[in-house]
Amino acid sequence: MEVFNGTCCLYPINVVILQRDKDAINMMSKTFFTSNKMSETIKIRKGLDLPIGGAAEKRLTDARSITTYAMKPTDFVGLTPRLLVEEGDMVAVGDALFCDKSDERIRFTSPVSGHVKAIVRGEKRKLLEVVVEADSKSLPTPMDTSAIKETMLKCGLWTQLRQRPFGIVANPDDKPKAIFVSAFSSAPLAPDYDFIMQGREEVLKKGLEALTQLTDGKVHICFRPNQRLAKQLSTLHSPLSIHYIKGPHPAGNIGTQIAHIDPINKGEIIWTMNLQDVAVLGELVATGIYKPERVVAVAGPNIKNPHYYRVKCGACLAEITKAQLINNEYPKMDSNDATRENRVISGDILSGTQIPADGFLSAYDDLVSILPEGNYYDFMGWLMPGFRKFSFSRTFLSGLLSTFHFSLSTYQFDTNTHGDERPLVFTGNFERVFPFDIYPTQLIKACIIGDIELMENLGIYEVEPEDFALCEFIDTSKTEIQTIIREALEKLRKEGL
Amino acid sequence: MFNNLRRFIDKIKPNFVEGGKFAWLQSTFEAFETFAFTPNRVTKRGSHVRDAIDLKRAMITVVIALVPAMLFGMWNIGYQTSLHATDWPYELGTVASWWYCLWFGFLRMLPMLAVSYIVGLSIEFTFAQIRHHEVNEGFLVTGFIIPMIVPVTTPLWQLALATAFAVIIGKEVFGGTGMNFLNPALVARAFLFFAYPTRMSGDNVWIAADLWGTDAITSATPLAELAAGMHPSASALDMFIGTIPGSTCETSVIAILLGALLLLVTGIASWRVMLSVILGGGLMGLLFNAIGANEYMQVPFYYHYLMGGFMFGAVFMATDPVTAAQTNTGKWIYGLLIGIFAVMLRVINPAYPEGMMLSILLMNCFAPLIDHCVVARNIKKRQHRALKLSKTVKS
Repeated sequence: MEVFNGTCCLYPINVVILQRDKDAINMMSKTFFTSNKMSETIKIRKGLDLPIGGAAEKRLTDARSITTYAMKPTDFVGLTPRLLVEEGDMVAVGDALFCDKSDERIRFTSPVSGHVKAIVRGEKRKLLEVVVEADSKSLPTPMDTSAIKETMLKCGLWTQLRQRPFGIVANPDDKPKAIFVSAFSSAPLAPDYDFIMQGREEVLKKGLEALTQLTDGKVHICFRPNQRLAKQLSTLHSPLSIHYIKGPHPAGNIGTQIAHIDPINKGEIIWTMNLQDVAVLGELVATGIYKPERVVAVAGPNIKNPHYYRVKCGACLAEITKAQLINNEYPKMDSNDATRENRVISGDILSGTQIPADGFLSAYDDLVSILPEGNYYDFMGWLMPGFRKFSFSRTFLSGLLSTFHFSLSTYQFDTNTHGDERPLVFTGNFERVFPFDIYPTQLIKACIIGDIELMENLGIYEVEPEDFALCEFIDTSKTEIQTIIREALEKLRKEGL
Repeated sequence: MFNNLRRFIDKIKPNFVEGGKFAWLQSTFEAFETFAFTPNRVTKRGSHVRDAIDLKRAMITVVIALVPAMLFGMWNIGYQTSLHATDWPYELGTVASWWYCLWFGFLRMLPMLAVSYIVGLSIEFTFAQIRHHEVNEGFLVTGFIIPMIVPVTTPLWQLALATAFAVIIGKEVFGGTGMNFLNPALVARAFLFFAYPTRMSGDNVWIAADLWGTDAITSATPLAELAAGMHPSASALDMFIGTIPGSTCETSVIAILLGALLLLVTGIASWRVMLSVILGGGLMGLLFNAIGANEYMQVPFYYHYLMGGFMFGAVFMATDPVTAAQTNTGKWIYGLLIGIFAVMLRVINPAYPEGMMLSILLMNCFAPLIDHCVVARNIKKRQHRALKLSKTVKS
């Protein structure tokens, strides 16, 4: 039985073993060294689509009139920033606000023209935000785009190019073996790129072509089967390599796609870029103008008006979140809890970052999720039947009933942990949502004890924290797996491995 | 009512935190608090939304799965006594006698359950407090299982000793739930088996003579009959239903299968382990059938499922996620070998009439090795891939 994304809300469990357990080398040489055959469909069986409602409706509001913007050094893994501006300085689009201390070519630039309104620091004077207040006279001048790498570095678009392993900003001196772009997202409440990219197909093509100049290897782009965008881009030619991926989340994660197409070995580097940033690159190449804009989906199970907004990067989200009427009819688990708060997350609910309601969009995100906080007590929650609780296991009545395609009410999703942290006891579940040729439990344990050789052997270079998001979600012992993986990767990176 | 309880807990809570009057009872307080209310903790980073399951829910699911076997076991304790007792108060076969069987068994099981939980939980709470940990839910299941797998006439002081041994030596010295490598309930049984062999096997332990004492009525289990070279006197149907002498709650295959169904539907226990134990036992049984050298080897292979603790072990003990193999391939190997060794021990070694306990404990010891080999294959594959790549690049 093929279970396709989105259609399997009530029974999202796919226990069948990954069908592509073929020799990885065959696959790699096929896609990498020989002339590629187009449109090979990769089927992913392991994973989970959360049956959560409230995805963005296909309407677009122009929110480019927002006046406050910020660049956040904390969005960039392992970055030590060197501040280049002072409060009150005037900046134009593409002017550097701060740069990477270890490589000053990597500049983090202002998305708008205006003046530096605030420099926000945290503990130990750690730089958190550089806030820019936009003015109205923002007409950038065209740039010389003959050398793509230099142009990208100059205007700051380079920072949108990330490296795997480690998830850091790409090093301009490296030669990646491939560049990956995912043309769909499978995360809960994910934006629909077919909708977002409407009318931007031409610049997207330009951007993809530009990417091919950055690597001697292939540029891979992954679509859903029958995705409209794929047909519109069909005139693309080699050395671009097109793949179709079928299956539940995390099929849209770049890590899953790399693992199935061209897995990373120790010492190898792959670059990745988000689809919307590729379009920005395309526009930059075509017109010479750097327009750091993107369409952002605002979604959540208890908001009344989930839809898309066109914003500039780093936009302050206060106006947007304020405009989202909270649907008070959304079921409350706790009867005496009248003041339910909501959490604003830049990114998806499985691996995004919590930001204040008047916070700023993070550098790599095109989704703002709003989720009810779960700070309530649940009387004998571990014993009650649980009609509204969602569990990957079927230990709650909701899950048992859904086995028979029957449900009494919609699921309740919030930020409650539903239990305390415990040692890792249950086994065999992570494997069901982790479509990698990697033993997740063993790798997590290797990361906890910090055994570098074991981590390398078990495939740490092939993963990023977000690849473990579903493992963390279903984990019975409530371990913070993504944090464990990030810390392990940082440890490896700092040791220069 | 819930709100009042919540308010009361919030009121007394400051006494139990660091610096409070009863800070030395912190773990105990937390255990009771989280027992009454799932905490209001919210996620901080990583996955903002979490699955509704926690360790409490998982463990209580196992306990619920054990209930059919427990209820049948209680009834069977009374039933076995009623068959042999001279002073049974009701006429056999009547409804009143049926209910009295259940009541009789309930009264026999209750002290055993109480001893197991009181001894085990006090040790768990003490260790948690010393370590400043939260109390773990693992013993909910262990404490329930221990009285289910011993003969009904086991003296309570022996049970207490075995429970203490299992919790301390079998679990806490390794770091508590999740860190042990032997199934604690089986450690308790093995302790009894080797420390007090006359109380754990033979023909004089399986049926209680009266309501309160440890005196017993002589009656052989099917395994003992076979070990003595006789064909079991009970029919296959009796053994399937469970109206035979044996450890308190292990006799009824049908009640155990009900529990197995719940464990499999909820996804708590590994179907791979259950299936492979059964396959392994069947394979070995068939092999012995083919040899057929004595009465024991000639017994139909499916008798092994019906006799003794085979099914109980396969469903509730081999599947213990902490002590089983942790990789999926490893689970198959682990389960198959448990089944094979269990039947082999029964048939070949007359000193141990029941091989299931020793077979599971043996494979508990080997599970890490099995996993190591399975994972090593994955590592080799990864290294091979990297090696092949560097060769291709050179050429």
